[in-house]
Amino acid sequence: MKISEDMVKGIILEVLQQMKPSSPGPDRPTQAAPLQLREIGPAVVGKDKNEVVIGIPPAFGNTMTQTIIHIPHQEVLREVLAGIEEEGLKARIVRVNKTADVGFIGHEAAKLSGSGIGIGIISRGTSVIHQRDLAPLQNLELFSQSPLVELSTFRAMGKNAAKYAKGENPTPVPVRNDPMARPKYQGLAALLHNKETLLVNRDQPTVELAMA
Amino acid sequence: MALIAGVDIGNNTTEVALAEIDGQGAVRFCGQSLVRTIGIKGTMRNVSGIIDALNQALAPLKIPRRDLAMVLLNEATPVIGDVAMETITETVITESAMIGHNPTTPGGMGLATGTTINLDALSEADSAQDFIVLVDAATDFQVAAEMINAATARGVRVRGAIVQLDDGVLIHNRLSQPIPIVDEVRHIERVPMRMPAAIEVAPVGKTIEKLSNPYDIATLFGLSPEETRNIVPIARALTGVRSAVVIKTPQGDIQERRIPAGHLTLIGAEATVEVPVDQGAAAIMDKVDQVAPLREIKAEAGTNVGGMFETVRQVMADLTNQPVSDILVQDIIAVDTLVPQQVLGNLAGEFALGNAVGLAAMVQTQKLPMQMLARKLEEEIQVKVAVSGVEAEMAINGALTTPGTKAPLAILDLGGGSTDASLINEAGQIRSIHLAGAGDMVTMLIDKELGLDDLDLAERIKFYPLAKVETLFHLRHEDGSVQFFDAPMDPRLFGRVVVMGEGGPQPIPLEDTLGRIAEVRRKAKEKVFVQNGLRALSRVAPAGNIRLIEFVALVGGSSLDFEIPTMLADELMEYGVVTGRANIRGSQGPRNAVATGLVLTSPLAREQSYGR
Repeated sequence: MKISEDMVKGIILEVLQQMKPSSPGPDRPTQAAPLQLREIGPAVVGKDKNEVVIGIPPAFGNTMTQTIIHIPHQEVLREVLAGIEEEGLKARIVRVNKTADVGFIGHEAAKLSGSGIGIGIISRGTSVIHQRDLAPLQNLELFSQSPLVELSTFRAMGKNAAKYAKGENPTPVPVRNDPMARPKYQGLAALLHNKETLLVNRDQPTVELAMA
Repeated sequence: MALIAGVDIGNNTTEVALAEIDGQGAVRFCGQSLVRTIGIKGTMRNVSGIIDALNQALAPLKIPRRDLAMVLLNEATPVIGDVAMETITETVITESAMIGHNPTTPGGMGLATGTTINLDALSEADSAQDFIVLVDAATDFQVAAEMINAATARGVRVRGAIVQLDDGVLIHNRLSQPIPIVDEVRHIERVPMRMPAAIEVAPVGKTIEKLSNPYDIATLFGLSPEETRNIVPIARALTGVRSAVVIKTPQGDIQERRIPAGHLTLIGAEATVEVPVDQGAAAIMDKVDQVAPLREIKAEAGTNVGGMFETVRQVMADLTNQPVSDILVQDIIAVDTLVPQQVLGNLAGEFALGNAVGLAAMVQTQKLPMQMLARKLEEEIQVKVAVSGVEAEMAINGALTTPGTKAPLAILDLGGGSTDASLINEAGQIRSIHLAGAGDMVTMLIDKELGLDDLDLAERIKFYPLAKVETLFHLRHEDGSVQFFDAPMDPRLFGRVVVMGEGGPQPIPLEDTLGRIAEVRRKAKEKVFVQNGLRALSRVAPAGNIRLIEFVALVGGSSLDFEIPTMLADELMEYGVVTGRANIRGSQGPRNAVATGLVLTSPLAREQSYGR
């Protein structure tokens, strides 16, 4: 059966509706504005030792605009960038078109980074801090449970990535672990994953982005 | 031909030496082993460890245990030790007089003075005054920067900022006019409003210069000589930080306060003196020397040290089935140390190093139930077991098998719980002493000074050198040398300071630099082992003069350490003493001294002398 984008959207909205009463926390708008990102050409390997590269999948800020717990992608990027800036480093953003896997996206970003440190963030919020010498499925820090990745986690993620790039010895960002996150969000996460992979195109190269 | 085994039960390890002795009494060593001691030294629980050690020594020879002619146990010295720490100073800030802390990334740089003001109040502020603006966690960095820019545009003179979150650089990067910003001030709500304040941020790699100098603070706030005297502790507390805030409040003050830690009562053979623990290690050790030889020590109840004394006494009493009142403290050692402590009344979660005194004590009783242990062992293995020889004498007999030694010789036994020294003169007379404080105390000092709260890790930091993992393919050792790897290391090690243990590098979960961790480790070893080495040797030396000792051999577990033998050798060089790690039987290193000594002095052996 061919799943159309509209179908997925419909299912997600339905699931979200059903989840509403049981899910506590602040009532956020279900739709956030798309990210104003502009493609400025194929991504190249950086030469600056003082940069961290952030990799995002095709759907990020595009067909999907918020994480699984409704943090707008706009704010996600802003916080990660702020964390990197506070440590005195520079950031580049690239869109990895060939995969929607967080590990591979993070690894691709790390390989493009002059410091060798990259961050991979996928649309539902799952994230990784990566280093270019690692295998794709290894990581420096992994934020595997997307429902537990909060706004403050993104700031801390940027900060720690910058510290690794500086050769410092940061304490890993504390990650909460909630055994209920899996049963509660698994269905939704699967749907979001389907939506994420729709735009993946193996033949399309990774492109460099600029904030419009 | 008789096969006999010498067994040395130590605090941490049980060691065995196996030897064949022929009809003429010639000794031929044929095996040894080392296992962890099970239970406390000298108790029934040791038996299983001993059997294990015997089996391990016999296994390569393929000889069954029943073929042993005799097992010899040492007369274990009935001493046990323990360690405790008493913090004796703390820093107290009243009325939020200062913030001096080290956020890793403050914003801007330079010195600024002004009146403290809330960000919201900035819109109504007049332009005749200088201001230091406070930004709380609820305000976004972008908004804060815009508000400060707007105020500056209206002519309000914003000279500096104090920020609650880690936003210093972010705000600074968005300002039209650069100002110094101190961030990560956790309790910003405690900063008083409308008070004169000064703020200083040093460039990267430097420390503040003005606010750490009392006269500069006096200049900034126009203080009288009296007031200047009062701000000296503030200036001192701000020395060595990269950013600081000082606020002039009517009663603002910072003090270093002494915490009452009780008294120690030292009872010697001739005199009894009292010494307050908060006077520090030097004062305590002075008094210990004054009353030597020590008979008994009493500590105040309700203090850490009092608690420690009670515990060791109780353990010893339980061990020997004697009343607690019969257990006497034999020796103590005190060392000064610094422990990180949260500053009371702090604004930014600052830590200050508080003074603390670490104490190790050793208690003594008449006799451990060694005979009972021997009988139990005999029952279990059906081999004759005898208790023979005092530990210190056996150790020295074993040590004399080190090539290149002869009597007179002194040995320093650097163990886990105690530092022991013995000396043998040409006539074969042996003097020995047991002192409190050894490897376990070093571990405690490392643990407390680094604030680890993990004794296992502290133990490893003590035992192995450090390194810094610079990339996944290479690490830099403590001495600066670089080691490369073909395969990438575990990502958890990336960028970390690691301990180079046997199982490979292990990360240390601290943000301290390699240099500081190594410094703490070295200092701890020096404080305990160098001080105790000198103390122990001077007690056994002829006329108490270490210069009259020619040779010192180091034995025991802690002499396997990678730097303690060098530290002691350097120190003892000044006394003209040859110091080195023993090499028992020319093959065992500093291990197995007592077990070897037991075999050599057994009734069957001809060589009752001291080896060759």
